Amino acid sequence: MQVAFVLAASVAILMVAYTMAISSRDLIRLLISLELMFGAVFLALIPLFSIRSLLDESFILAVITIFTSSSELLVLIGTIVKLDRIKKDITTTSIVAGGELP
Amino acid sequence: MDSAEKIVRFINYPLVVFPMMIDSYVFISLLIFAVLSSIGSLMTKDNFYSALYMALALVFIASTYALVNLQEIFILIVFIFVGAVGIVTVSLAAVYKFKPSMQVSKAWIIPSVLTAGILSYVFYRSSTYIEFQGASINIDDYLVLIIALVSLMVLLMLSVISISRGD
Repeated sequence: MQVAFVLAASVAILMVAYTMAISSRDLIRLLISLELMFGAVFLALIPLFSIRSLLDESFILAVITIFTSSSELLVLIGTIVKLDRIKKDITTTSIVAGGELP
Repeated sequence: MDSAEKIVRFINYPLVVFPMMIDSYVFISLLIFAVLSSIGSLMTKDNFYSALYMALALVFIASTYALVNLQEIFILIVFIFVGAVGIVTVSLAAVYKFKPSMQVSKAWIIPSVLTAGILSYVFYRSSTYIEFQGASINIDDYLVLIIALVSLMVLLMLSVISISRGD
């Protein structure tokens, strides 16, 4: 199969995720867009598995990517819950840099 | 008839197909469904349905791994990424229900489509055909890696619990 199809689909999903992240008004939508970005990364990894000599490395890379991204999203989920507890608001406008007033 | 050809009956019509072509068609269909699900996730107004579309897109992405005989990665993505993190996201989206509103910035759609089009064209111009073979891995190293990563996950979960409890 052509590698271009995989990479084109990956880029399409990544662009959809970017558009969603830019236009999101609440953190749930931002979390969903981040998960889609990681989905695009998983898709972009597929051609790596076609190189016979890099099969072990590809496996390790894919496993590290899956676990790291899951951990990252888990931390974000925890942050959303914590933010809701403190501010009672999970809109993106409620997120400010440390000490900055909204 | 070529030995690689195969006759498949579709609503009483005999179709001559190549086994490799069937794989390619299914693969491309999965990719199209993944892209359509992600677009559905962007276009839907309700966060809950957006999360569901996202989970669907990830399942399609994981299915492409299963199709190229990489079941281990398929299981990891479906069980961990969709099964754990994805379902928590769906639950969060169901809990934090807002009045459904369109969250698509139309100004950003054109640059995104242009970027995707240009990059896809570049990939297509320099594209090659790839084939996948059966995977075999070194179990010892893999086991150590899995144990290390599970430990990392446990540590992160503990820290998340600690944050949630306010310690």
